[in-house]
Amino acid sequence: MRFRIYRFDPDKQAKPALQDYELQLGPSDHKVLDALERLRAQDDSIGYRRSCREGVCGSDAMNINGRNMLACITPLAGLREPVTLRPLPGFPVIRDLIVDMTQFFRHYHEIRPYLVNHEPPPERERLQSPEERDKLNGLYECILCACCSSFCPSQWWNPEKFLGPAALLQAERFIIDSRDRATPERLAFLDDVYKLYRCRTIMNCTEVCPKNLSPARAIEHIRIQQLRRSG
Amino acid sequence: MTLLSGQRAFVFQRLSALVLLAYIAAAAVRLALGAPVTLAQWQAWAAQPLAAAALLVLALALVAHAWVGIRDVVLDYVRPFAVCVTVLGIAATGLALLAAWSALILVSHAL
Repeated sequence: MRFRIYRFDPDKQAKPALQDYELQLGPSDHKVLDALERLRAQDDSIGYRRSCREGVCGSDAMNINGRNMLACITPLAGLREPVTLRPLPGFPVIRDLIVDMTQFFRHYHEIRPYLVNHEPPPERERLQSPEERDKLNGLYECILCACCSSFCPSQWWNPEKFLGPAALLQAERFIIDSRDRATPERLAFLDDVYKLYRCRTIMNCTEVCPKNLSPARAIEHIRIQQLRRSG
Repeated sequence: MTLLSGQRAFVFQRLSALVLLAYIAAAAVRLALGAPVTLAQWQAWAAQPLAAAALLVLALALVAHAWVGIRDVVLDYVRPFAVCVTVLGIAATGLALLAAWSALILVSHAL
């Protein structure tokens, strides 16, 4: 199988380049990450992140044949050759397929990704009804792989100011949580011309999410709740 | 809502879109029932107080809708900040003049 991989080492190269590789797949090579592991056995200078190798940690998010995916859960079967692997678009490249996620996580921390509740804690835990818990479905599953934010044109245009789909999905996750008491502050924080309202509902985020979540829907819910609060 | 609220523009854009849609639907019905043919007939139609008022609302909704659209494009693409503010200022002035001109024409014909 033929591969074309984005190579860039800022210490050695002035410009990035695509390097071609040929690989004989083994019987147990089913996913793109399997092939990458084998390629690294050939050329140990290829840089990429990976950890859990089963779609849970989100560290091996990359652009595969023009679409952001997780290498560990993307089947090799059916991929057009040469399989072109690039780093997540719109993010600064550290080396090869490794990108700098600093800004991504800064945006994530800005939305205060934790429950804010200053009421005295109950003896055991803050309970939710099954209905209240159900509201978190489709939100809590986000693994922060950045496939969505990196594929969002609004994020490319305003990377510093627009929080991006991943952070906004997480914001909705805490806004809607019945145990959280900071909903007005959270909504007020997001009522900003850049932080939330740069979203043009292009829906690339929903299209590429490897966990089949819909950040676009979460963003729409935040807007609706802001309207209800202000109306 | 804060001064730099994104929500205000979001609401303006949707409300103005509703006005535009309502006008298009009403105009389609009106034209289906018999459209003015000559220029004089069009002028006479536009000079009726109700038609002139509806046209004025349409013009204002169109300007508001265009403003939010232009503002979004400028905020997304135009750098640096000083150039962005200048382009927004020019766009706002142009749209305001357009709205005032439309209002002037409609009011002068309707009176």
